[in-house]
Amino acid sequence: MRNFGCLTAVAICAALAGPALAQDKTITGAFDVGPGGFPKGFNPLAVTSGFMWLKTYYEPLVVYDAGLSELQGALASEVAISEDRKTYTFTLAEETWHDGEAFTSADVKFTFDLARNPAAASVFAGRLSAIESVETPDDRTAVFTLTQPDAQLLTIIGQVMILPEHALSQMAPESIATSDWWSTSPVGTGPFKFSRYVTDQYVELVADEDYRGGRPKVDRLINRYFENSAAAVSALRAGEIQFTYVEPDDARSFDGNDAFRVIEGPSWVVNYIGFNNELDLWDDVRVRQAVMHAIDRETIVTALYGGAAEVANCGYTAEALVPGGIEPYPYDPERAKALLDEAGWDETNGSAPIQWLTYYGTPQAANVMAAIQAMLAQVGVNVVPRALDTPTYNSITYKVDGADPAQFALNYGGLTFGPNPAQLNVALNSSQIPPAGQNIMRVRSEALDGAFAAALGETDDAQANTRWQEVCRVMNAELPWATMWVANRYGVVSSDLVDFVWTPAPGGGPYADHPELWDIR
Amino acid sequence: MTGYLLRRLGVGILMLLALSVLVFIMLRLTPGDPIDAYINPSAPMSPEALAELRRRLGLDQPLPVQYLAWLRAAAVGDFGFSTQRSGVAVLPLVLDRIWPTVLLMGAGLAIAIVVGIAAGIWGAVRRGGASDLALSIFSSVGISSPPFLTGLLGLWFFSTQLRVAPSGGMLTPGAPFSLWDLLGHLILPACLLSIGHAALIMRYMRSSLLEVLGQDYVRTARAKGVREVWVILKHATRNALLPVITLIGSTIGIAIGGAIFLESVFNWPGMGLLLVNAVNGRDYPVIMCATLVIGACVIVVNILTDITYAAVDPRIKVAA
Amino acid sequence: MTARSAGPIRRAAQRFAMNRQALLGLAILAPILTCVVTYDLWWGFGPNDIDLLSINRGPTAAHPMGSDGVGRDVLARLMQGGRTSLMVAVISVAISTAIGFLVGAFAAFGGKFADAGLMRFVDLAMTLPPVIFLLVLASIAGTGIGPTIIVIALLSWPVLSRMVRARLLELRERDFVVAAKGMGAGVPHLLLRHGLPNCIDIIVVYATLQVANAILLEAGLSFLGLGIAPPESSWGNMLNAARSGTVLEQYPWQWMFPGGALVVTVLAINFIGDGLRDAFDPRSGLN
Repeated sequence: MRNFGCLTAVAICAALAGPALAQDKTITGAFDVGPGGFPKGFNPLAVTSGFMWLKTYYEPLVVYDAGLSELQGALASEVAISEDRKTYTFTLAEETWHDGEAFTSADVKFTFDLARNPAAASVFAGRLSAIESVETPDDRTAVFTLTQPDAQLLTIIGQVMILPEHALSQMAPESIATSDWWSTSPVGTGPFKFSRYVTDQYVELVADEDYRGGRPKVDRLINRYFENSAAAVSALRAGEIQFTYVEPDDARSFDGNDAFRVIEGPSWVVNYIGFNNELDLWDDVRVRQAVMHAIDRETIVTALYGGAAEVANCGYTAEALVPGGIEPYPYDPERAKALLDEAGWDETNGSAPIQWLTYYGTPQAANVMAAIQAMLAQVGVNVVPRALDTPTYNSITYKVDGADPAQFALNYGGLTFGPNPAQLNVALNSSQIPPAGQNIMRVRSEALDGAFAAALGETDDAQANTRWQEVCRVMNAELPWATMWVANRYGVVSSDLVDFVWTPAPGGGPYADHPELWDIR
Repeated sequence: MTGYLLRRLGVGILMLLALSVLVFIMLRLTPGDPIDAYINPSAPMSPEALAELRRRLGLDQPLPVQYLAWLRAAAVGDFGFSTQRSGVAVLPLVLDRIWPTVLLMGAGLAIAIVVGIAAGIWGAVRRGGASDLALSIFSSVGISSPPFLTGLLGLWFFSTQLRVAPSGGMLTPGAPFSLWDLLGHLILPACLLSIGHAALIMRYMRSSLLEVLGQDYVRTARAKGVREVWVILKHATRNALLPVITLIGSTIGIAIGGAIFLESVFNWPGMGLLLVNAVNGRDYPVIMCATLVIGACVIVVNILTDITYAAVDPRIKVAA
Repeated sequence: MTARSAGPIRRAAQRFAMNRQALLGLAILAPILTCVVTYDLWWGFGPNDIDLLSINRGPTAAHPMGSDGVGRDVLARLMQGGRTSLMVAVISVAISTAIGFLVGAFAAFGGKFADAGLMRFVDLAMTLPPVIFLLVLASIAGTGIGPTIIVIALLSWPVLSRMVRARLLELRERDFVVAAKGMGAGVPHLLLRHGLPNCIDIIVVYATLQVANAILLEAGLSFLGLGIAPPESSWGNMLNAARSGTVLEQYPWQWMFPGGALVVTVLAINFIGDGLRDAFDPRSGLN
């Protein structure tokens, strides 16, 4: 039984702040997907990032705290989970939609029915498949019934923004996905109301006067879009915006500057070199071990990340999830060469070029890949980095009839492994090979599948970490992917902002950042 | 004249249609599958959902059918939806971006024309002098400098060193519209855009004027005692302008190219930025529509140039 | 039996040798070419030698142009980048010159319908601003040296084909061509024996100036991330690094040197091209 009820304190704080100030207060930032172009999506059921921004005008039922350590109530004031973990009962908060309609359990049912409907282009459909039904015994209660326990369900529910049934129910699910409602007149329950979207430039929100957490302290919240991080950083320095994500290099340039505060935190994303396990090239585990030994991860972390990254020897870095005694794969080019010799690398591939794909377009990633390329070349593995736009990357890696070795032998990417460790399952379980899931590396490991199954089905909280440690141990020994490090991410915020909460959560969270309390001097 | 205009317009429309076929074929010859752009990288779709999406987008039909379907829709202004942005129609998106580009190019070309013609006259009059030499060096370097390099240098110098220019964008977001704000954002990219064109116009103007100054009627004017300034400004310049007008008309295409790079450097919300982003994200509907709109603009500008030419040069009689 | 004997060519060479600007161009280009072609014989660093312990260092005695984000020597990358940029430019111009000559020649010799069809196609290809075409082609071809060469080659031929056609149309009516035709000479014979020698001046001038243009096109494409992709170096993708604010502001040596190399090289080639044009056709001052 978990209990959430922290909203009273918020309400009191907000009430003490008093009525709206006379002058028009505006906070502007590059909040959403960070620098890198225009909004990737306004439909919260179709996006995998930008949740931090969406949560300023929509709200999920539950949400992580700002430290991403536990879930707390948002639109649900309380959630009760049955002993067998197959029934979740949400008690809903009192709130009205921005257009004045009352928020009820019918909206919750509507949202989750829509989110589970693949026709609505929902990205959650697969991950909510454990839900059998959503019942609404009364206006303020929603009961979710599951077919089987699912350790990550509540985490997923924390990303599903509740949508207004009265505004969307008359549209067919297919047309909801492409409707312009999302970018012209969306209605949410969050502390801010959607005002307007100037295409590719910015989104403007205005304060919701009757938000249950109190009227926001600022009148307007503006999310600007930038072509690249350079433009965003310049705008930040010029005082045009008060917040943006930044690259590590840029973050360092703000050190010792009193006008700004640098926020640093783990990204919860493990960077990895992925082997296309379908190819014979990588069959021998010694080859994969050689790749690990050939890369000087410590020096890369020191030089290219300024020390702000943690070397990862499996998919996890949290102390509780990493068992003792796993192989640390130290930098040892001689050992790497020896392993390659034993595995007969000269016969299987030799110095033939190996395409190494990535979807990262940042200068940081280009530098990291250039460094790794040089290190691998030292031991006789000739990789050719190739940065692609996301659609092309997908078209190659998700190809259903097996990937073409000439195009995709290796990839470099990042996978979200937290706050819920179950999130790696979709990328490494053999049941998740495309089109079913995201296992583009085509990992087919019975040991790993078994470890995931045991961890996901575990009903005893006390045992959960031990189960995840086993997952880590298998990854570390079998090396279906070469995990590199977990880098820190950075945001820089103007010192003019008061009570501003931001954390570099994967996909933008969401998390309890309480935008209604943000203020600007 | 009307008949000539109509014929030019008819040819223009035919060109546009041919262009749409060309672009359509080229885009469908791409190695990837247009449907890929609809798939979220971290959330693949089921094969059924994919097939449904493919059917809805008409991507399962043969190419000519796809083209005709596209053309029929385009005729009523329906260019489909941007694949990169959820639920954003293409045509308004593209049309929204015309004015910023026209503004940037217009300002850049205006500066280039004024500066280029003035410098060209100056160079011709001071032929062989130190200022003529300086101007020709500027002109040679200007022609050889790509706009993105001058853009980077300008951004570096004025924005990061002197800190007198904004870092990019067209308007300060959230602020009420003001002409000063717009001009403040416009002046640097427009000046940088004008460099290459000013250099080219100057070079043409200089040699054209030199040629005209050697001709009989100029000598006659001088012999009649007309003041030198007047000879140059009235008699010679007007005639020397003819090839320059043709040049300006034919450089519109180059100007669009330059604008694309400067829009990228300065985050200027015009057609160039839109197109570059669309190409990066393989947003086919936007690429098609933007390409055609730009093509249409160029065709219209070419017609306008011909008309201007006819108006300025009395020797050209437009035969019907 | 050619329309122009060796005489005019010798005269052109003499005129070229008298042109100070053209000689200056040669004087600038020769050392650049030499460095770019031979640098791996005498320069101690390779373009992809990383040194993570000295990243983003300004110019020093060991690295006269500083080092980049993974400690690579900027000078070595600059020279390798020049090799890439020049190679892409020269090969693409060779291809586009061949296409341009053949299209123009077939239009002139291939009969009325071939002429009309080809020239309408050329009109069409010239409707779009070149950079727009470049972007559309690049979105199809993808990144890398091969695709970049193809994209630039496909873009640059229409102007040449028009010039070749105009020259050959004039030639077609001359006695010796009519005579050759009357003696049963085929189109290939006409092209090689009469067409090519009579267009050689157009082609040389066009190709030279187009190399400068192609260098700029490659740089532009790579600058937008659509041309040569790192870690392969080219002048354009070295400039691409400056799209990061940190590099633009704090490590200017990483982009100013390639930018300078680009401008100087293009300038030198333009000088040579202008000199060649004036040498072949002394009256062409206006163009």
